Amino acid sequence: MKLKEYEAKTILEKAGIRIPRGLCIKKGSSQDFQLSPDIPRMVVKAQVEVAGRGKAGGILMADANNLKESVNSLFQANIKGIPVQEILIEERLEILHEYYLSITIDRKNKAPVILFTSEGGVEIEEVAKRKPDAIRTASVYPLLSTVPGFTLRYLLNGAPKEISGVIQALYNVFIEKDALLAEINPLVMTPDGLYAADAKLILDDNALFRQGIEENRDLSEHEREACAHGFSLVELDGNIGVIGNGAGLTMATVDLITRMGGKPADFLDVGGGADRNRVAKAVRLLGAMPDISVILVNLLGGITRCDEVAIGIIEAGVPQQIIVRLAGTNEAEGKELLSSRGYQMLDTMEEAVSAAVEVAS
Amino acid sequence: MIYADRNTGVIIGGATGNQGSFHMARMNQYAQQVGGKGVVAGVTPGKGGREVNGVPIYDSYSDAVREHDASAAVIFVPGSAAGDSVMEAADAGLDLAVVITEHIPVHDVMRAVSYAGIRGCRVIGPNCPGILSPGEINMGIMPVHLASQGNVGVISRSGTLTYEVVHELTRSGIGQSSIIGIGGDPVIGQTFADVIENFTNDPLTRAVVILGELGGNLEEEGARDADLPVVAFIAGTTAPPDKRMGHAGAIVTGGEGDANAKIARLRDMGIPVADRLSEIPAIIKRVL
Repeated sequence: MKLKEYEAKTILEKAGIRIPRGLCIKKGSSQDFQLSPDIPRMVVKAQVEVAGRGKAGGILMADANNLKESVNSLFQANIKGIPVQEILIEERLEILHEYYLSITIDRKNKAPVILFTSEGGVEIEEVAKRKPDAIRTASVYPLLSTVPGFTLRYLLNGAPKEISGVIQALYNVFIEKDALLAEINPLVMTPDGLYAADAKLILDDNALFRQGIEENRDLSEHEREACAHGFSLVELDGNIGVIGNGAGLTMATVDLITRMGGKPADFLDVGGGADRNRVAKAVRLLGAMPDISVILVNLLGGITRCDEVAIGIIEAGVPQQIIVRLAGTNEAEGKELLSSRGYQMLDTMEEAVSAAVEVAS
Repeated sequence: MIYADRNTGVIIGGATGNQGSFHMARMNQYAQQVGGKGVVAGVTPGKGGREVNGVPIYDSYSDAVREHDASAAVIFVPGSAAGDSVMEAADAGLDLAVVITEHIPVHDVMRAVSYAGIRGCRVIGPNCPGILSPGEINMGIMPVHLASQGNVGVISRSGTLTYEVVHELTRSGIGQSSIIGIGGDPVIGQTFADVIENFTNDPLTRAVVILGELGGNLEEEGARDADLPVVAFIAGTTAPPDKRMGHAGAIVTGGEGDANAKIARLRDMGIPVADRLSEIPAIIKRVL
């Protein structure tokens, strides 16, 4: 789950990283906000999760004279299609130098990896293209509780030593918050020392239970409902509803639909060992989506009972045509149940996909 | 076959749960058919002294190995405690831990895999269907009736996709030496490279099918140094790009994720990549 900038910054501040003074206001709340009078120049930042927020008009410069106008105009704006609901107003820092610092997961080394460069303030992929040698990366062995000194020295590559403290503090946040990404860009050197001018935190959805977060905000309403039933759902924009079991098979089904010229409406993985209730819920979930004209059920499992699946499909009773490919335990009983009620049953994945694409076109 | 054979004694972690007890029975049924040792004990903290399907349950792995000859664990423990179970199995001296559990926090996986490595315990998974070596041993949740004995190795990040391909191979008369589900999580124990190396040293295996997905670049890493013929399939060519790991992740691996880019890189290495699952048996016949 992605945290908003102000949420991430609050966490960084608690970990000992300095952040600019500021406050967050919500749309529709009182406009009588008060910043400290000794802040002459501000930055007004839309709290939206888009790449290139500044270029897209999501960040405005302001002073005491035009602060309210800036806030009002930003609340009217859409940043890359996303309406602005929250705004962070911060003091504008006096920037001497900008650095980039992030920590993410390195699949290959199976460990956290720290990225640092003195070429901060721009998007990191720009630096990667223009000056790849300027980015230093170092994995930290997962059983160490602190970042070793030699790793810090390697990362800094001559940059000011006090950045070590920020790296260690961000590393602590990364571990304690079960983060997949912790990023400070830019990390700013001012006459007064180092500040995190912008921050990003993405938490591991599988660890929200121990982070005191009950609900994953990143999910749409349908996706949340799917999640509550133990499904995994991603909404796409086509008209063929897809239900599969297992992410790989479901994904391969979506791929094959596209390859055969159809347009998948979703990716819905019902998970292993689905019984009639789960199948019925999955079918109803898709049945309620107005753009779906045909539903393709592609289930393969040693432990999924096909008769249960068949009963689930029948009980769901949705208006759309359903094309079914089933393989597994009690396959014959399942097929008998469905074909006796007029459902189209096909033996292979390719035949089933082909039939669905034809119906939908 | 690789990682385990019919003489491997298996302990089930989370043996008293629904999944654990159900699959334990299936594994023992298979062991009986092939004359293997099968599951010798189960572990669930606080439930030691019971029996499930005739298998004795212990409070800890160390209690279980004191009483039984076992070298491998298959773990069904829920996500919040699964990392701990892997470390405990490694600590008790087991040299293989197959982790079926999904939704384990990735930080737990990193720590558990590291710790197991220090203890000389290899980890397969998490979030995987386990190992099936037809005619030898079933250490997981794969539908055994779809598989057949032969000399093609299968390595996969996904469960049901594996069954689909194994089904296609068997129907085309191509048997399998070992089918290894390495798991779909960002961080896993044994990677494509590790498993391919094991297949290379396996006298039974003559070619390998790798079933990959979008995300990471471990398929290419594994296929690059393979001494055996490799055939690949990559799922997720039409999936919307997953931006969750952000650009930092892409910079670490040099262009992470996209399935089409992955396919292009594999083809550049001379690895045949099937566009459809149904093409895999024909390509295997060609390379053998």
